[in-house]
Amino acid sequence: MADTAEDVHMTEEKVEEEQQEQEYDLDKIKLLPGASEDGTAASFQIIDEDHTLGNALRYIIMKNPEVEFCGYSIPHPSENKLNIRIQTYGNISAVEALHQGLDNLSELCTVIEDKFSEKIEAGGYKTTEP
Amino acid sequence: MEIDKSDGPSVTIRESERDHVNFILRDVDLSTANSIRRTMLAEVPTLAIDLVEIDVNTSVLADEFLSHRLGLIPLVSEGIENLTYSRDCTCDNYCPKCSVRLELTAKCDTDSTMNVYATDLAKFHNGSRLGDPVIRDANRRGPLICKLRKHQELRLTCIAKKGIAKEHAKWSPCAAVGFEYDPWNKLNHTSYWYENDAAEEWPRSENCEWEEVPDPYAPFDYKAKPSNYYIDVETVGNLPPNEVVLRAVETLQRKLADIAIELNKETVEASNANAGGLTTYGRNQFDDGGDSPGMGRTPYGGDGGFGGNSSWN
Repeated sequence: MADTAEDVHMTEEKVEEEQQEQEYDLDKIKLLPGASEDGTAASFQIIDEDHTLGNALRYIIMKNPEVEFCGYSIPHPSENKLNIRIQTYGNISAVEALHQGLDNLSELCTVIEDKFSEKIEAGGYKTTEP
Repeated sequence: MEIDKSDGPSVTIRESERDHVNFILRDVDLSTANSIRRTMLAEVPTLAIDLVEIDVNTSVLADEFLSHRLGLIPLVSEGIENLTYSRDCTCDNYCPKCSVRLELTAKCDTDSTMNVYATDLAKFHNGSRLGDPVIRDANRRGPLICKLRKHQELRLTCIAKKGIAKEHAKWSPCAAVGFEYDPWNKLNHTSYWYENDAAEEWPRSENCEWEEVPDPYAPFDYKAKPSNYYIDVETVGNLPPNEVVLRAVETLQRKLADIAIELNKETVEASNANAGGLTTYGRNQFDDGGDSPGMGRTPYGGDGGFGGNSSWN
């Protein structure tokens, strides 16, 4: 009896794992043609993203001193696609630069979030309770 | 660079009330501040009626008109993180895991007109406030849905689902987001229309008090970048305003994480491909420790700002 219970539990776990995998969009990002041989320059296409992410990401990648160029475009307003081009000076690859950009922007978000909650908890601002 | 000199972004909260929060965000780039604004407006998930099953509708309003009105009723969305998107749910159509059911039954038997309010929506008990209509009027009745005359009847079931305002504005947690920078227009991002004198004819922004009065004879600073953003978030009541700001930042981070995961997957898959396929582009070569990429190696750390050990020199 105990064994069967264990089995059921395990299959449930497996199903859960599969569901987790499914949650991620399989072709969220792809490499566009036009990448250089050594991979220091590449273009990516991100699905279902717009200026919300594109502009901030472009800015933060451009901030990286290893990056020579970064630009983004929405090729057509009625297609939910975002193209982003990255060219580095050669010390890091374009994929690496994109990864660093994503991490740096996420870190920046964490700082803003922390600063905001800190100030909300600290008080000292005008409030009117209904 | 402004950002490199200071110790990172800062926040000053000016007002925080039930339905709005007013704060100043400092030392971030315009693109970042704008991302947060756009996320607050259109990508914070909330709950709204999305499906209406109408049994009886003998009111003067057409079914679709009524459904539209029902969709726009703000529903309490605290705890929305426990609800899945209906499209991601394992159920066939909808279930308590991905939806909240509300029922409306009203019949007018009197000679006078009967008002049907949002409070007349009966929610199927789900053990929380999630899905209750937001009440803000003095009579505690909620928004008016419809009026009935004698013998007119309404009998319908509403299915409220999780969604974002990018799909339909009814899911927006914000009524409006005020966003201002550079109130003195030192950067000339705005060009004022005027008859004789722009400074005379245009009212001054309240935020002018928070910044130094510019010297009118100073030469134009072409290197200046905006750094102070005066943000006023006004909500519709389904989420508290502070929560909207925090959830917006979290939503933005989730978007970034999703791309990072997909990018990792792609590079891993590509590295398994035979020669001639895609390459990893040397991503693994740079792993000098177990820490996240971008930490330690980039000049964001010790060097501070541009230059440092980059190939620029």
